[in-house]
Amino acid sequence: MRAACVFIPRFPIAIEIASGRAPRGRAVVIGESADSRRVVLDCSPEAEAQGVRPGVPVREALGLCRDAVFLAPDPIRYHEGSEAFLRVLSGVSPLVEGGDLGLAYVGVDGLQGHYEDEMTLGETLVRAVRGGVGLEASVGIAEGKFPAWAAAAVSAPGEVTAVPAGKEREFLAPLDISLLPASPEVLRRLDLYGLRTMADLAALPLGAAQAQFGPEGRRLWELAHGLDREPLRPRRHEESLSERLTFPEPAVSTEALLVAGRELLGRLFRQPALRHRAVRRMRLRAALADGRSWERTVTFREATADRDQMLYVLRCTLEAAGLPGSVEELSVEVSGLTEETGKQEGLFVAKGRRRAQLEEALRQLKARFGQSPVYHIVEVEPWSRIPERRLALIDYDP
Amino acid sequence: MVAHPRTPARPHRLRPLREPKPIDVEADGEWRPVAVTLGGRRLRVVAVQDAWRIDDEWWRERPVSRMYWQVELEDGQALTLYDDLLARVWFRQAYR
Repeated sequence: MRAACVFIPRFPIAIEIASGRAPRGRAVVIGESADSRRVVLDCSPEAEAQGVRPGVPVREALGLCRDAVFLAPDPIRYHEGSEAFLRVLSGVSPLVEGGDLGLAYVGVDGLQGHYEDEMTLGETLVRAVRGGVGLEASVGIAEGKFPAWAAAAVSAPGEVTAVPAGKEREFLAPLDISLLPASPEVLRRLDLYGLRTMADLAALPLGAAQAQFGPEGRRLWELAHGLDREPLRPRRHEESLSERLTFPEPAVSTEALLVAGRELLGRLFRQPALRHRAVRRMRLRAALADGRSWERTVTFREATADRDQMLYVLRCTLEAAGLPGSVEELSVEVSGLTEETGKQEGLFVAKGRRRAQLEEALRQLKARFGQSPVYHIVEVEPWSRIPERRLALIDYDP
Repeated sequence: MVAHPRTPARPHRLRPLREPKPIDVEADGEWRPVAVTLGGRRLRVVAVQDAWRIDDEWWRERPVSRMYWQVELEDGQALTLYDDLLARVWFRQAYR
């Protein structure tokens, strides 16, 4: 399978520079909140040169690179940029697989006839991205996704590297072993063994790589040989609907956002495309007054058309998230649309299932507390004149 | 090996509901309740709304012989008391 990897390194930084939020040629760091601490989402090469890496705490990055421009992430902008990136590639090939931000694989089998050679095809992809998104991508074309990615990763922005079929191992041989998709621990151990290039790993017998690193060792050994059998998984077009509402004044209270959420859900469900259909996913986006944005995606356990349920989820999401600022615009996008007009409940099944769920919950309580903390009331001698003889509690043990 | 379930080895136990609770009752010479002590407060009995006697389980080692009194206290609350006629001890009990 011939594949082209189209790669825009440091996609969030590239988007921020293209939009003018970040200056070109200066150290830029984008910090995001992970759990309760803020970590670096992405950084420019200038910041990386001073020791900043994605994933390190922002506080640490601040210490390493005091003159950097620190930005809050703008997930909406990145998402829209990524969508535009994949859309322009879909104009070149119908087989496009989206990966991380700024990474896509394009199936090129059958396209060669349309172009003079693979280099021309690669240049077409570079031009498409430049014209459609305004960013410089590097392109690698090879047999399999990993060799294609490695070719793109070692190419400069705007460059194309095509690896002839059957020459993957030769191409990869001098490349740094850290290009392999391995965990940091495995990379550290590879380094301890003195394996620095793909050729070093490829020169080992397969058994030795497997003995040291297990199944991951086999996979890495194959990749170092240029063998990647992982198929291309083209993205499917997914129907989605969205509505947005701009506040006259930036909203800060959850109640105001819920009023907007109710209005947006009402508008969505009034659209003919959503009539008698349920949705599986809901994406909430908020444009904040200070130029930042916020985004959350909720996947329902079962497709739903129940607006009250969706509004409840929206409330829980907003309350749990704690928006980082006042909201200028709120949008709701629904996707995973079903063709169902409703859900047929069983006449007896639901009751049986509830009982099964209840019994499972009680088993969990029993496992936790050592005995069932739940009792049920039984009539012992309901006719008795002595009150304590009539009813009793008995352990409920399903 | 089966893990220890941490459950005490005992058969299912019945826990009687509406078990009587001891109460401090002041009675007159005819064993009629005059006042009770609830939460450290002495409350006078202002009215007896009903009274009945239960003699039962005479075949057991500890037969039941109780004189029940449904009374109204000075703070307005209603209470059902009984006098254990064999032990001469007072209890309160929900009686429905």
